[in-house]
Amino acid sequence: MNDTKKEIKQGIKLHTLNTDKFKTNLVAVFLTTKLERETVTANALISAVLRRGSNTFNTQEEISKQLEELYGASFDCGIDKTGDNQVLKFYIETVNDAFLPQPNENIIKKSIDNILDIIFNPLLENNAFKKEYVEQEKTNMKQRIEGRIDNKRRYALDRCIEEMYQGKPFGLYRFGYVEDLENIDGVNLYERYKELIAQCKIDIFVSGSVNKEIENIVEENQNVKNLKEREPYYNTESERNTIKQGEKTEKMDVAQGKLVVGLDVNSQSEDEKYNVMIYNTILGGSANSKIFQNVREKANLAYEASSRYFRYKDNIFVNCGIEIGNYDKALDLIKVQLEDLKNGNFTDEEVENAKKAIISSIKTIDDEQDTSITYYFGQEMSGNQKSVDEYIERIEKISKQDIIQVANKVEMNTIYFLRN
Amino acid sequence: MQVIENSKVKEKVYLEKLPNGLTVMVIPKKGMKKKYMIWGTNYGSNENVFIVPGEGTKTEVPNGVAHFLEHKLFEQENGTNSLDTLTALGVDANAFTTNDVTAYLFGCTDNFYPAMDELMDYVQNPYFTDENVEKEKGIIGQEIMMYDDSPDWKVYLNAMQILYHNHPVKIDVVGTIDSINQISKETLYKCYQTFYNLSNMAIVICGDFEPESMLEEVKKRLKEGKGKGEIQTFYPEEPDTIVKEKIEQKMEVSQPMYTIAIKVKPTDNPEEMVKRDIAIQILLELLVGKSSSLYKQLYDEGVISGGIGGSYEFSENYAHVIISGQAKEPEEVYSRIKREINRQKQEGISEKDFHRIQKKLYGEYVKDYNDVENIANMFLTKYFMGINSFAYLNEMDNINVEYLTQVLNDVFKEEKMVISIVKN
Repeated sequence: MNDTKKEIKQGIKLHTLNTDKFKTNLVAVFLTTKLERETVTANALISAVLRRGSNTFNTQEEISKQLEELYGASFDCGIDKTGDNQVLKFYIETVNDAFLPQPNENIIKKSIDNILDIIFNPLLENNAFKKEYVEQEKTNMKQRIEGRIDNKRRYALDRCIEEMYQGKPFGLYRFGYVEDLENIDGVNLYERYKELIAQCKIDIFVSGSVNKEIENIVEENQNVKNLKEREPYYNTESERNTIKQGEKTEKMDVAQGKLVVGLDVNSQSEDEKYNVMIYNTILGGSANSKIFQNVREKANLAYEASSRYFRYKDNIFVNCGIEIGNYDKALDLIKVQLEDLKNGNFTDEEVENAKKAIISSIKTIDDEQDTSITYYFGQEMSGNQKSVDEYIERIEKISKQDIIQVANKVEMNTIYFLRN
Repeated sequence: MQVIENSKVKEKVYLEKLPNGLTVMVIPKKGMKKKYMIWGTNYGSNENVFIVPGEGTKTEVPNGVAHFLEHKLFEQENGTNSLDTLTALGVDANAFTTNDVTAYLFGCTDNFYPAMDELMDYVQNPYFTDENVEKEKGIIGQEIMMYDDSPDWKVYLNAMQILYHNHPVKIDVVGTIDSINQISKETLYKCYQTFYNLSNMAIVICGDFEPESMLEEVKKRLKEGKGKGEIQTFYPEEPDTIVKEKIEQKMEVSQPMYTIAIKVKPTDNPEEMVKRDIAIQILLELLVGKSSSLYKQLYDEGVISGGIGGSYEFSENYAHVIISGQAKEPEEVYSRIKREINRQKQEGISEKDFHRIQKKLYGEYVKDYNDVENIANMFLTKYFMGINSFAYLNEMDNINVEYLTQVLNDVFKEEKMVISIVKN
């Protein structure tokens, strides 16, 4: 599978991922804009209001019924942070015509038309979003923002990121802030919507058994025709972290302490980030990793003990769920692992094993539709055009020395602990 | 091998029951780079009272043994851990335990056969010592604490507490800190000998493979020996009634969470299980799904702000419907759902709505065949209930409004409903 890209208009790209491996077609539309304190809440709210009703299908109920008629397994929308950008994501997944009880229903065209209708042809009242929808979604968004304490593990990670990036775009919460909601109404939210749609980067992905005809379907769509060319307003670079935050503790009614350690990697180039992927796998990215083996298997301090690499931001986050009294022990063990990697206390075999794991995950990118869309979007955002084979080749070149070099750049930034 | 084909999703399953009792299923997926293998035993947290083969009396084991055993099976006599060995091969290995099934698995692109060697070796060669059992108590203890901090898990478990009087499905799969402390290596060996018995197990392999030669690969990795025939397990008598209707727990949450559960009389007829499962999924969409009138009302009134989840969980000896979500006033959702059930019963199910939901569900079933891991897991867990997963695509055509009405009346009974709430 390849990402066949076509710039429909400046700032608007169609990505066609042609494959007959799947029973389904997946259509995704991503709107990308800069993460900014002034607009983060409104942008998140826009996505919630859009799915309430379009000019064609006025209610959520009508939208749902329409999708069900299309053998619609799902319509989804979400908000992500990609580097210093906020991305509004919309998806429709439908059954491929070949697996329908009655063929030739041309579902792919209908689902493309539907998703574009929901995003670009919203229901309006007096040149504003429908008041009722906006008010309801403000209440729901408030709930959603406050609801982040419900998943304690996710909450601890988000809080560590916030502490680490205080006052910086990446420190913003992706759903925004309760205090902003008060001043939003149907009129100013629609104004913001028009601005967003006129400026944001737009990527449309169609994955499935599709052909050239898809380009026509998308280009001939009236909603796409109405879109203007743009110099897309998004961050291609992301801001580095410079201030060390140290230890932060927060209290909540939890049974188990959640420890998150945020690390600055300080890579010198995009290319070096491939080495960091292997470094992270050895540090905490697998069951053979230093952290899993030492914190969990040897010291038996945790069930969950791992690390994740945030490539865009060049940060690694180490996560452990521990007995609250074991904070110092666990933290010391994590520090020991970081030192060990610096001093080269690991084997070539560990490097080779980590490479195998990463290569295996690269090879399966094209085996899942949503994974491949995420991957090709990542390439789009990083301006990196490596093919899967080149990617594998690059990973294969990595040596122990490369990992030691990474290890010696890594610095602890924030140690966040959620406890009772 | 027996070949079972489904023309709707255009897939085939090759199945063989070996003389030693083990069932092997291979589902070829052309063009997929990912390969996946899962080996499961029809044994989960529910089997706590049984007769060890060759013994005359019943054995009762502490809660959480099946899951503990799953963790420990990776230990090898030579001091290595099979999870490490598999990870070193670059494969993605894991295991899971449910109420009814324990399974060991890996997914990969390369090194499939070396990984298969390791998986089949460790599942057939348990090595438990006092020391390695002891150390696991710390790790599983933290796993239990992690679930203690998950309000969505707590609200579900509490619903099971008031839905069932005695049935072990009410017990947490991982057990409690107290119960796991009672586990010794002897307990683990007893459970292993009883339930890790080839006639109680199945292997499913999915990927770009030739089925017959894959069967030979499985056979040559099997130790000599035979299944031990029927396993005797015992379940306590479970009354049809619920224990009580409401339960509440305090936890730090942003908005109350609720789980509504409905106790259902189980059936051991596989065909009926499938039909009922499909019918309940359709009914749940009609009652509380995104396009339902109740969902619209509750959403517009601000009673709910997100979706209402619905599912049906069952085996041969338990069955219940689950409806869950978050709401300011869960009690209001509860009474409105009850009212909506009565309205549907009185006004009858609309033929048009039924057909629309049927299409949606068809799409969801077809989607299940996209991913090798999902396909294999689905075939394994359903197989232990005597179900071939293709049955869902076929039985779908046999569902009609009359049958839905019957299930609505038989299953969605007010006196069988409970609600569990977690709030501040």
